Amino acid sequence: MRKYFKYLLPIVIPLVVLLLPASAFPVEGLTILQQRVIALFLLAALCWVLEPIPIYATSVVIIVLELLLLSDKGIALFRSGAGSPEFGELLSSSSIMATFASPIIMLFLGGFFLAMAATKYRLDVNLARVLLKPFGSNPKYVMFGLMLITAIFSMFMSNTATTAMMLSILAPVIVLFGKDDPGKTAFALSIPVAANIGGIGTPIGTPPNAIALKYLVGENAIGFGEWMAFGVPFVAILLVFAWVLMCAMFPAKQDKIELSIKGKFLKTPKAIIVYVTFAATILLWLMGSSHGMNSYVVAMIPVAVFSATGIINKEDLKKISWEVLWLVSGGIALGLALDQTGLAKLMVNSIPFDNFSPFVVLGGAAALCLLMANFMSHTATANLLMPIMAALGMSMSSLVPFGGGVTLILVVTFAASLGMSLPISTPPNALAHATGNVESSQMAKVGVIIGVVGVLMSFIMVWILNLVNFI
Amino acid sequence: MEKINIICVDDQREVLSAVSKDLSALSDLFQIEECESADEALELMDELDAEGQHIALVISDHVMPGKTGVELLTEISDDNRFAKTKKILLTGQATHQDTIAAINRARIESYFEKPWKADVLLATARTLITEYIFDQGLDYQPWSEQLDNAVVLSRLH
Repeated sequence: MRKYFKYLLPIVIPLVVLLLPASAFPVEGLTILQQRVIALFLLAALCWVLEPIPIYATSVVIIVLELLLLSDKGIALFRSGAGSPEFGELLSSSSIMATFASPIIMLFLGGFFLAMAATKYRLDVNLARVLLKPFGSNPKYVMFGLMLITAIFSMFMSNTATTAMMLSILAPVIVLFGKDDPGKTAFALSIPVAANIGGIGTPIGTPPNAIALKYLVGENAIGFGEWMAFGVPFVAILLVFAWVLMCAMFPAKQDKIELSIKGKFLKTPKAIIVYVTFAATILLWLMGSSHGMNSYVVAMIPVAVFSATGIINKEDLKKISWEVLWLVSGGIALGLALDQTGLAKLMVNSIPFDNFSPFVVLGGAAALCLLMANFMSHTATANLLMPIMAALGMSMSSLVPFGGGVTLILVVTFAASLGMSLPISTPPNALAHATGNVESSQMAKVGVIIGVVGVLMSFIMVWILNLVNFI
Repeated sequence: MEKINIICVDDQREVLSAVSKDLSALSDLFQIEECESADEALELMDELDAEGQHIALVISDHVMPGKTGVELLTEISDDNRFAKTKKILLTGQATHQDTIAAINRARIESYFEKPWKADVLLATARTLITEYIFDQGLDYQPWSEQLDNAVVLSRLH
C-alpha cells in the first residue's frame, strides 16, 4: 500500500481541493481560477517531492493543465463562468506557452551552447590541465586547485557535467591512495561540494539563479556582472571554508600526488572560433548593459555563431538537456499562474506576515528552502518557493529596511544551492557517492556544516549589500 | 568539407600496400594513411586530431614489434578523443586469449583473418565509416556515393 502513496497522493489531494466549495477555504474572496491554481500548486509540490513521474514531466503536465484549465483557449466546460468576479480572469494561452521560450530559458540555452562547444573542442579539459599545474603535488594544494577549477567551471557549465569531468580526471589518482587513507574521501567529496558552491557564482551557474532573476525585475533587476560581483566573492569565501573543513576532517596520509591529463589545445579554425566566442560572450555579459544588450540577448550570440559554423551540429543539438529547460519552464508557468490569478498576493495578504519579525521570515524561508533542497531537486525547490517569496517580499513592509523582496529572494536562492548533504540532494553528490569513496554519513556531516554556514554567510552578504545601498 | 581518415597499421610493407589497394575505391573521398607500427599510428592520430581531422577507421595487424595490435586498439578505445573511431583487427596469428582481449577490451567492430577477401574488407570498411559519420553527427551527403546505403537508410529512419 505504501508504495502506491506516491501515485495516489498527487492525484487525490489536488482533486479534493478542486472539488471543495469555495467557502471551505479560510480566505476571503477566493475565485474559482485561484482555487484551481491551489490544486495545481499542490499537484506540482507533491509530484516534485514524491517523484511519481520524472520532475521535468511534472513541469510539462503543469503547463498543459494550465492551458486546459486556466487559459482563454482551454476546454469550454472550464471557461463557462468566465467574466464574473467569482470566476476570475482567464490567462492568455500564448503567455503560458511562451514560458517554454522565456528569456530565462534562452539564457540557459546560450549557456548550454557555450558548455557544449567548450567540451567538444576540449577547452574544459585543456584549461583544467593548465590551471592545475601551479598547484604542485602536495595533496592539500592539489585539492584546492581541483576545487577552484571545479567551482569556476560550474559557474558556466552544468554542475553535473563539471563534476563528471573532474571525477574522471581524479579517478586514476584516487586509486593510488592507500586503502584507509581519508584523503580519498576528501578528494571525491571536494568535487561535488565545489561544483554545488560554484554554481552560485553566476546567473547561468545553476537553474535556481535563473529562476530568481525571473522575479528580480524592474528596479530590482540584477545584471550578469552585478550578480557575479557578489556571487563570486561569496563562492570564494565558502570554497576556502569548505577546503579547510575537508582538510581537517579527512587529512590525506599520502604526501605526494600527481595528476596527469593528456592532450593539447586545439588550434584549428573551429577551435579558435570557440575560444573567441566563449571569451567574447563572457566579456559582454560582464560589461552589463553598457553596450545596450541585456544578458538574455547576449546569450543568443553563441547559439547563432556555433550553429552557423557547424561547431554544434544537429547531432549535438539532440544532446542538449531539454529536460532542464522544461523543468524551469514549468516553474515559470507555475509562477505565472500564481501571479496572474492574484493567488500569490491573496495568500500572502491573508496571513499576517507583517506581524512577524523580518528575521523570523528571512530565517524561516532560508531554513525551509535549505531543507527542501536537501531532499529534492534544487530547481524544483526554487520553482515552488520563488513565486511565493516574490509575493511575500513585495508585500512585507517590515522587510524594506533590510532590502525588501530582493533580500528574501537572494537568501532563498542561495539556500537552494546549498542543499548538498545527501547523495540524492544533487546529481553531483550522487556521482561522487557512486565512486565508492564517500560514505553517506561523511557527506551528510560536510553537507550540513557547509549548508548552515553558507546560509549564515548569505545573511551577512545581503546585510553588506544593503549597507552599500545595492539593494 | 571535413577530412576523414582511414588508418592502416602493419609492420609488413607488402600487407600495408595490399590493404590500401583493396580500399582504393574509398581513396577519392577519404584519406588512407599507412603506419608501420602502433606508436607511429598513435602519433599520427594525435596529429590529425589536433588539426581537427576525423579518424573514422583503424585497421590493425596484431603481431608487431613494440605494441601489439590489440594493445593499440585498446588504447584507442580508452581515449576519449577517439571514442567513436571504428576498429578492425586483421591478423593471422592472434591466439584465443588475444581475440578475447580484442573484443572485451579493445571493443573491435570487426575481425578479419589473413588471408582476407578484398571485397568483404571493402564492404565492412564502408559500413563502419558510414556508422562513424552518423555517430559523429556529420552531414553524410558529401560522401554518399561511397557509403553503405543500408546503414544510411536505417540511420535516417
